[in-house]
Amino acid sequence: MEQILAQLPQQVINGLTLGSIYALLALGYSMVYGILRMLNFAHGDVFMVGSLIGWGVLQLFVRGGTALAKSGPVLVSMVFGAVVVTSVLGGTIERFAYRPLQKGSRLTTLISALGASIILQNVAMLLTQGRAKAYQTELVISSDWAISALGATISATRLIIICVSIALMLAMDYAVTHTMLGKAMRATSQDREAAEYMGIRTQRVISAAFIVGSGLAGIAGVMIGLYYTQVDFMIGFSAGMKAFTAAVLGGIGNVRGAMAGGLVLGLAESLGVLFLAPVYKDVIVFSVLIAVLILRPQGILGKPVDEKV
Amino acid sequence: MKRMFRLRFGKMRNLVKLVSMVILVLCVGTGFVYGKELPPVKIGAAGPFTGDLSKIGLDALNAIQMAVEEANAEGGIKGRKIEVAIGDDMGDPSKGVLAAERFAMDKNVLGVVGPMNSATVSAALPAYDRAGLVIISQSATNPDLSERGYRVMHRICPRDDAQGPAAARFIAEEIKAKNVYIIDDKGTYGQGLADQVAAALNQIRVKVTRGQITLEDRDFSPILTRVKATQPDLIYLGLSNPAQAAGLMKQAIGLGLSARFMGGDCMKEKDQLVAGAGGAAEGMYITAIGRDIAEVPAAREFIRKFEGKYGAMSVFSGQSYEATKILIEALRVAAGDNPAGLTKAKALDAVHSIRDYKGIMGFPIGFDEKGDVLGASIYVYQVENGDFREVKEYPAEV
Repeated sequence: MEQILAQLPQQVINGLTLGSIYALLALGYSMVYGILRMLNFAHGDVFMVGSLIGWGVLQLFVRGGTALAKSGPVLVSMVFGAVVVTSVLGGTIERFAYRPLQKGSRLTTLISALGASIILQNVAMLLTQGRAKAYQTELVISSDWAISALGATISATRLIIICVSIALMLAMDYAVTHTMLGKAMRATSQDREAAEYMGIRTQRVISAAFIVGSGLAGIAGVMIGLYYTQVDFMIGFSAGMKAFTAAVLGGIGNVRGAMAGGLVLGLAESLGVLFLAPVYKDVIVFSVLIAVLILRPQGILGKPVDEKV
Repeated sequence: MKRMFRLRFGKMRNLVKLVSMVILVLCVGTGFVYGKELPPVKIGAAGPFTGDLSKIGLDALNAIQMAVEEANAEGGIKGRKIEVAIGDDMGDPSKGVLAAERFAMDKNVLGVVGPMNSATVSAALPAYDRAGLVIISQSATNPDLSERGYRVMHRICPRDDAQGPAAARFIAEEIKAKNVYIIDDKGTYGQGLADQVAAALNQIRVKVTRGQITLEDRDFSPILTRVKATQPDLIYLGLSNPAQAAGLMKQAIGLGLSARFMGGDCMKEKDQLVAGAGGAAEGMYITAIGRDIAEVPAAREFIRKFEGKYGAMSVFSGQSYEATKILIEALRVAAGDNPAGLTKAKALDAVHSIRDYKGIMGFPIGFDEKGDVLGASIYVYQVENGDFREVKEYPAEV
């Protein structure tokens, strides 16, 4: 018991860090689902590409074990590089893998999404030769920069991840509720045809959702690299699964729900480890999902959908 | 409509006639020219060439291909060319069985190098046994594999029940650790080795706490937070993926954990472990199932050629090259003066009776009744200035 209490603060911090990354990823799933009612299975792989691009940019600044520039500019250029590539990638996938199939059944886009995911994974495998790529996090964010409180070590990396994610989520929330694009997105997700009659170019809204979601995935990819300290071509799958679960947990199609789902999931994963062996952390995650789906099928913040006749 | 169809069909029939005549002529023609050439002998390469463990798989495959190219330059097997048949198992036992069955169906595959992972060997052994197809694994160390009575099983690496006790002895006598935390990845290799180390440590009354992760894990904060609570002075890693170990050690620093690390033979990989951990691997101990071949004079030529062609070599490259050379040597013995009469059964007998094969590993290789390697040692290395330094040698005794 004493050991459990001693671990509690640290595990809460672990959970928040991981949860905020899940939340950023879940946003992408949720936005696309909300508008198109389709599951973008390639989203996890876009995130993986983002993390690899971040690594690539980092390598430009690292020579022989030292960083060539200050932390700030390095981190900003990593994020910038990742976001540019993933946004373009997300837009391209939408244009070539999904748009031509929009008129078909939902199943065809789902299969196309799986295909896009497999292509991204294999291209990444070939380019990285299957090797894990190490982020030299310690060169950019020194491991000495840490706060110790209540027996928990809060490293600067974690702090940055949590703060950046929360800032992004607030910005997203504001964008969805207050900007024209946000309104257009909500309108399109409620009824695409009606939105079109109102003069909204829904096709553009869809592209925007993909581009914004993929950009967020790019940021999440860089952050996961800094946090895990290494990335490889397979990380997209499990992270994608978790983020999708978070989106469902929070109520798929609901932006605030996705954020809440991500945080709940991250916390469940790391707090569950207090009582069960760490191998069971995925069991805990999916048990939470099942429990929520039984008790609240629409998710934590989702609205119940009336059965259409 | 109907007529058009008929017309097309008619044209098609002509085409079919033409093509089949061409094929017939080609067959007869080549038959005259090449009638006497024997089909190539195939050596199966089984291992994780794609997927999570593709790094170690490709290190092995490159070495296997190099050994085969060299043998072909020396005339193959009494004039018969050697080819590599690739059986990718992705480190997944069920795919390992499929690869074995595919090899078994090809009558020209006479021996297999691999599979590499203990779990894959374990699953695929019955299939290899049914086919009577000899295997030489370069890296499957789980003790149980050679205890099941399959005659096809051979390996050139010592077993975990030699490595585990050697590691435990080193922990108790040299590191003098009192409180050890053992993390394994639930795999046949990782958990198997961790079990051996734990059992040996329990016998000499060193306190052991255990924890597990999975092969898919990239986030080690949950388990490391647990580890931190027990305040161990040594953390033993029973993991099969060196990249995973590197990530774990780096994340441990992020959590303010300052215990020493030790790991098994799979960790001895510079690119993924030492470079990947970015300094966090410094001072780590590793037990290895063979001497670093960089120190074996006979291996210099191999290392020079390999690194010139494929870049940095890993422990799996040397072992795979050696296993392939042994298999080729055995096939040559089995062929005698009659390369056409090579069979799987003859190849199996010849591998089984290999004695004192002197290759690049630094000790004469032979197999005992169970197919386990004879005369091997366990070496303890320490990571120092980004390189591995030998600190201790124990004879591999079970």
